[in-house]
Order: sequence, then structure tokens, then C-alpha cells
Amino acid sequence: MAYTTKEITVGYGDVTPVRIGGGNPLAYIGGPCAIESRDHTLMMAERVKGICDKLGVPLIFKACYDKDCRSSVNSFHGVGIEEGLRILQEVRETFGVPVTSDFSVPEWGHATGEVVDFVQVPAYLCRQTSILRAAASAGRPVHLKKGQFMSPWNMKNSVRKLAAFGCDEVLLTDRGTFFGYSMLVNDMTCFPIMAQTTGMPVCFDASHSIQMPTSMGNISGGQREFIPALVRAACSAGIDALFCETHDDPDSALSDPNTVLDIQYLEFVLSQARDTHLFRQELLAKYGDDDHVHPRD
Amino acid sequence: MSTPATDLPALSKVMLPMGSFPALPGTTLFKEALDAMAAAKLGIVTVVDGDGKLVGVLTDGDVRRKLLKVQKPFAAFFADDVADHMTQNPVSVRHDSGLADAVALMEAKRVWDLPVVDANGTLVGLVHLHPVVKALMEGRA
Repeated sequence: MAYTTKEITVGYGDVTPVRIGGGNPLAYIGGPCAIESRDHTLMMAERVKGICDKLGVPLIFKACYDKDCRSSVNSFHGVGIEEGLRILQEVRETFGVPVTSDFSVPEWGHATGEVVDFVQVPAYLCRQTSILRAAASAGRPVHLKKGQFMSPWNMKNSVRKLAAFGCDEVLLTDRGTFFGYSMLVNDMTCFPIMAQTTGMPVCFDASHSIQMPTSMGNISGGQREFIPALVRAACSAGIDALFCETHDDPDSALSDPNTVLDIQYLEFVLSQARDTHLFRQELLAKYGDDDHVHPRD
Repeated sequence: MSTPATDLPALSKVMLPMGSFPALPGTTLFKEALDAMAAAKLGIVTVVDGDGKLVGVLTDGDVRRKLLKVQKPFAAFFADDVADHMTQNPVSVRHDSGLADAVALMEAKRVWDLPVVDANGTLVGLVHLHPVVKALMEGRA
């Protein structure tokens, strides 16, 4: 069954816009999980941008100002909305790349959209009407993560909520689906299902998919050794963008230390993602994009 | 002895008027379409575009064939749009046709329900077999 996803454009003002879906090259959304400090964020943005520029991969820099879903009240919660948005604004102006952060309080949606190019909705909140209304009201394209408890076909309901609130540019991302307790699995059929049922571009979140939710008492574990294999599989299955958090010193990361990809391996992973995505496009051009293999009616 | 065509009631007198059968947008969920079909006690829902033009129908026969053919879970099936499974460009009859023509078409196509459209293709009614039979029986009496 053939499908072509909608092209969405991320980036306003002076940054280099990134076009996702509609046959565009694979886009990369990444950075540290949390904004840890101004200097660290700027350092990470410079390093990630350098890798993306070298590989010719369009970049949307990601770092969150508030981590509301931490397992422990003692975990790092973030620098807060004001300081966080100031830092993200500086990243935009310094490096000319679109930036994204999620938000978890409806009242923060508008302010977030005034700075970031791409408003992210956390997976746990992907069907919350108040959050979706706030995301749409921000006036930016929305990055909507599929909840670990959601079926890919039911994400259409959230996309239609966003449409009802005026947002028709959405990227849908799989970050794994609960498989019992403290374990996630990736169902690669979710990409064609979400693309076909919504028409929107789709994305794979590599670093959260290998997460083992709250498997270590009050912090999540992860099996990052599976990131490369899953990235290759997702690119083969038809993603338009790759999401993967990265850090210069994962063991010291203030958020998701067991899942973020060590930046020393980002080029290794991103190169394969880019090439697999390109190879899939070449296959579709050669053999056609009609995957319908059922007996004809 | 059959009723002469000239003695038959007009199609507009026998067809179900708009509002008395489901006429849904294509983005209606498949589950909602089945609910509408059940609520109307019919074996069909019609599907219209934003201008009210007929674009498809979903019948209980379509559902039966899909159940035998499509292997995905019910939960996924129910979340599809009705447009994903409807019969496009369905057989229909013009509103200025005679009832005999409509019945002949229903017999030829072996359908129990026949959408009625105006010259622009806008849905204006539905010929359902039971009221037709009743009208013919009353005419015969």
C-alpha cells in the first residue's frame, strides 16, 4: 500500500527551516534530554550541528527546560521555562537551527511556541485535550509522541484534536510500546499505520525506545546497545525523521543517563540512518511504492 | 398481475427522506458508521462530501466481506475512517426517475438500498426495499 506523508516545515525567522516528510531527506531531532546549563547546551548544540553539517543531515536541536515525568522528586527537574527558553533562543540565534522543547503544563504552551520552532507533546500526555489545545495554540508545528500505551491507529484521534484546534502540521513519533512492566518494544508496523491513517510524517525516537521504564528503582534503565539496529530497522520501515537524545558524558547526564546516546557515536548512528533512509527511497523508486501484497479484489 | 408503472407512486413518495438514514462524512470512524447503521436499523450508511454529494456507501455486505478479508485487529478496524472501506461511486438513481426504474435497478444490482441523487449528484434520499414492497402491495390492493 503506497503512502506519501505530508511535508511539514519546521523553522521560522532566521533559522534554516527543516522540511520533514513528503520524500524529503531524513531529518534529525536531537540534543541533550534536558537543558542542564547555558554553557552545556551551547556546547552540545555546536557539536551536534557540526556532526549534522558534516553528514548533510538537517537538524532540529532538542533540549527540554522542564522534566515533569521524572520518577523521583529528587531527580533533576530542569532549569525552568524562563531560563530554558532564553537558552533555546540563544541556540537559535547562535547556530541558526530550529529548536524544540516539550511542555507539560497547558499554560506554558503559548510561551513555549513564542520561542521554539517545534512544540513537542510528551508521550504520556499525547491524548490530553488541554495539552493538545495548548500545543496547537502555540502556532508552531507539533511534535506528537505516541504514548507507550497507545495503539498507532488511535493516534489519529489526537491528530484530529490538534486539527480541530487549528494545527495541521504534526510529526508522529514512536518511542516504544509497553511490553509488560519496565519494558518497551518497537512495533515497526506503527510507522506505515500512523502515516497511512493520518497522512502525517513519522519519526522514530531511538533513545527512549531502548528505555526500560523505572527499571532501576526510581530511575529508568536502558539498553542503548540496540540503538543502531533499531535505527536501521525504523529507517527501512519508512520514517521521515529520527529522534535521538545525545550527551557528551552520559554517565553524568542530569536526565536519562542510561538511555542517551554518547555523542561519540552519533556520527556512526546518524550516517547509517541517513544511508538507510536514502537506500529505501532508491528501492521505492526502483520497485514502486505500492506495498499492497494482498490478493487483488 | 403486476401494477402498471403509471399507477406506481412517485419515487420521492417512497424513498426515505434525508435525516431518516445515515449520511456521514468520510472521516467518520468505522465504528461510528456501524453504530449509525445499527441505530437506523438499516444495512447501509451513505457517505457524502462537504457539499452533500454522494461519494460512497458502506453496506452490511461490505462489512461481512471485510471481516473475512482484513486480518487486522477489531480495534484497528474500528479506528479506520468509513471512507477507507466504503464502496466508491456506488449505484444510485436520479430523483426524477420512476419507481419502476429504481426497482429494476435494485433487482439488476441485487441491492436492498439505492441512494437517490439530484442532477448535481447531491444525495436527496434513499430507496429502501421494505417501503417499496409496502407501496407496491398497497397499490395492488
